[in-house]
Amino acid sequence: MLSEKSLAKIARERAKYPADQARSALLAALRITQEEQGYLSDAVMEYVADLLGIPAIQVYEAATFYSMYDLKPVGRHKLCVCGSVSCFLNGSDAVLQHLSERLGVDPGETTADGLFTLQEVECLGACKDAPMLQVGDHYYENLTPESLDALLAKLRGGSDDVR
Amino acid sequence: MPNIEIDGQAIEVAPGTTIMEAAESLGIYIPFFCYHPKLSVAANCRMCLVDVEKAPKPLPACATPVADGMKIATASRKAKMAQQGVLEFLLINHPLDCPICDQGGECPLQDITMGFANPHSHYTEEKRVVEDKDIGPLIATEMTRCIQCTRCVRFGQEIGGIMELGATGRGEHMAIGTYVAKAVRSELSGNMIDLCPVGALTSKPFRYKARSWELKHTPGLCPHCSTGCNTDVQSLGREVLRVLPRTNEAVNEEWICDKGRYAYTGLQAEDRVTQPLLRVDGEWREVSWAEALDAALSGLEQVIARHGAGRLAGLISAQSSNEELLLFQALLRGLGSPHVDHRLRQQDFRADAAMPTYPALNMALEDLEREPVVLLCHAFPRQQQPLTNHRLRKSVLQGGKVIAIDSLRRDFNYPVTQLVADAGADLALYKSLCSQLSGHAEKADATPLAHVASDLLAADNPLILIGSALLHHPQAAAMIAQIETLAELAGGRVGWLAQEANSAGAWLSGCVPHRLPGGHTAHAAGLPADALWDADMRGFVLLGTEPGMDAIRGAAALAALQKAEFVLSIAQFAGEAKRYADVILPMAAFAEGSGSFVNNEGRLQSFQAAVKTPGEARPAWKILRVLGDGLKLSGFQFNALSEVTAAWQHTIREYALDVPPFHAFPALEQVPMPMSADGLCRLGDWSIYQGDPLVRRAAPLAQPAVAKMHPDQAKVLALRGDSVEISSHSGKVSLPLVLDVRIPMGAVWVPMGYSETAALGATCAPCAVTMATPPAAAASA
Repeated sequence: MLSEKSLAKIARERAKYPADQARSALLAALRITQEEQGYLSDAVMEYVADLLGIPAIQVYEAATFYSMYDLKPVGRHKLCVCGSVSCFLNGSDAVLQHLSERLGVDPGETTADGLFTLQEVECLGACKDAPMLQVGDHYYENLTPESLDALLAKLRGGSDDVR
Repeated sequence: MPNIEIDGQAIEVAPGTTIMEAAESLGIYIPFFCYHPKLSVAANCRMCLVDVEKAPKPLPACATPVADGMKIATASRKAKMAQQGVLEFLLINHPLDCPICDQGGECPLQDITMGFANPHSHYTEEKRVVEDKDIGPLIATEMTRCIQCTRCVRFGQEIGGIMELGATGRGEHMAIGTYVAKAVRSELSGNMIDLCPVGALTSKPFRYKARSWELKHTPGLCPHCSTGCNTDVQSLGREVLRVLPRTNEAVNEEWICDKGRYAYTGLQAEDRVTQPLLRVDGEWREVSWAEALDAALSGLEQVIARHGAGRLAGLISAQSSNEELLLFQALLRGLGSPHVDHRLRQQDFRADAAMPTYPALNMALEDLEREPVVLLCHAFPRQQQPLTNHRLRKSVLQGGKVIAIDSLRRDFNYPVTQLVADAGADLALYKSLCSQLSGHAEKADATPLAHVASDLLAADNPLILIGSALLHHPQAAAMIAQIETLAELAGGRVGWLAQEANSAGAWLSGCVPHRLPGGHTAHAAGLPADALWDADMRGFVLLGTEPGMDAIRGAAALAALQKAEFVLSIAQFAGEAKRYADVILPMAAFAEGSGSFVNNEGRLQSFQAAVKTPGEARPAWKILRVLGDGLKLSGFQFNALSEVTAAWQHTIREYALDVPPFHAFPALEQVPMPMSADGLCRLGDWSIYQGDPLVRRAAPLAQPAVAKMHPDQAKVLALRGDSVEISSHSGKVSLPLVLDVRIPMGAVWVPMGYSETAALGATCAPCAVTMATPPAAAASA
């Protein structure tokens, strides 16, 4: 189900932990799996559970806890808008609504062209520049309607700033 | 030893004690939801927050170990504020549906809210709703009521050994469930209902039946296995509405298995008999007790007059009470018949003389938790004695080792080293283990057998437990003799895992053909159960048993019963008895009678009737008394059950809790395995929910009969599709086929205890498996 390369990476992570603590390698294993597959299907989660020798429910628990894991196919750019307390107080709801209107999708949905997935996430640790969102490995802070539109235009323009 | 003070009361406790435990020993109540003494500490409900002097914030009592000099207040302003705050948060999302919630009246959330909450809430927004889940026929879910205490999750992981339930999602979205919709498959799953502090998990068969405060509680005993779990039978009027565990740390702690919890649903079966039935010219007629008893007495007298008492036999269920067992054998022996037995599932009786006074575990159940090395011989306690299994699981979790020898790989809920015999070659496996132990085998150190042998030799006095599946084997006697040798070689001791609730009582009460009450040898030994079917018996007395499904050769049993001149069946259910009986006398079923059982440890426990018997049904001891009286036998003059109990105690006297596991073995006649070279070996045993007339009728527990086979074996036989025909020398059956790698090659597994499979006859016999003819093809042909 996974490539040799991913399996080797997971094995390397697994080796970092004691023999009876396979669960410790779970987060890394899920990250590697998602990098290869794009998202985590039920089947691939069960496969990871077997791979590590842990019950499948423990994989589901971890995968549903962290918003960084996707359980459904996502768009090319995943817009993760922080909705925790600092961002909320600084207008994260307006950010979400603005993006929602511009993209024509609700949080948790993907645009028809498969370009964007909009998501509300928990605190990403950039409270000093709230409100903020994350796309791929980049943070975009002190968001305004103008900066959001500029960001969307940049991403639509073929920026490879993904994942 | 830390000295602490709780609410002004000083106490000295052991280091490591939590505030919760210290308060409990002082009798100070601290409210809680997620804490449970048998589960790990999660500290996630925060209900038990208490005020600790010098601590800046309130601390959770369940997770805070005491320190010397600690001063704790459980009802200070700070503690009360914390309790009110926690409750306000818990109630934000909890629906106010108490009037339609089954937990109402026995709900910790309801009680604690009444006792500790601030009546005003700041919350005016919408409550969350959680999608409901279907987790099988036993547990009803209403997940919107869940407060995420995770008791059920921890129970599954820590006690049940199942990892199906978990907490998925985060924060507001967290929900308990199985994620991928799945039924919870654990023989202990019902305990989660008791653990759930709200109405999220409730009993499905009990749903909307009654309010907890309307129910009458009667101390009962579970009649479904030899553990002897203590139960609380709850009834309303004449109906048993649910069965819950009654705490007894020495026996079942505070759990019961699903079989014990839900078997009561079988009481409502359609074929329940509530009126004496008499066959008149081939038709069944409901008659008065006087008429039925007349027919029973004259039937028995005629059989004896025409053929002699040696042509009369009695078979009784080992779920019967001591009192019933004692009277039953007294009735048969009083009439002059030596043929009394309860062992319908056994086929090899050559070791009868060597059998112990009663099948005793020879130790306390509690001590099983501390056994370092246990060898299970054809025993699968997870299905047969679920709470005895729980003790073994605890010993393994604490570093103990369990080894199992069996005819197939078993699905234990803890790590077990398993040795699986080649199809039908069970005796040979015990023999090769013995030769490994004695050092006669060739050196082959890497084999699993050699590993097991060295584990046993390294252990100090390992415990060897003999299971009921071994007794059902055609070479049981030789295997038992081999186990005696094995125990000697390994320097171990032997205990028996008795099968049924009162197997021990049945032996002690003399319901075996070669022993009298108290284990004294009978002068004239009768025939054992399985031999009766071929012995041209003319009369039978049955009590609480359905030989068609309970006997190892069901079809042969039915044929013998149908051929007999007179069959008296004292029964709870008429379904099978109507096929062969002449008189059916309705007896009290589970929860309708009183009496006593001896469990696997030799513990004598008694139970009370919870409800009145339905219709004209009567407790079996009264029926036996009237029959004995009517037949003018001595020793049947009892007015009350307590007199029968006293007679039992007088007859049996003191019995040892630790009995020698074997008496001297008689010379065993060799019997070859009845295997043909090309046939498959038919394996099988009674499934967990097919073991007795009541549980077979419990609809929520029902599992359909399926045949199982190794996928490679199915490939060899070119079996496709899901329905196969299995034929043995005694008959053939059609069943769905399930592929299962746990079944050895050369074998097919067909469960016992189903009317569908009775035609196949005894286990470990040769059989052939072919594709079933599809009904459509058969019709067109």
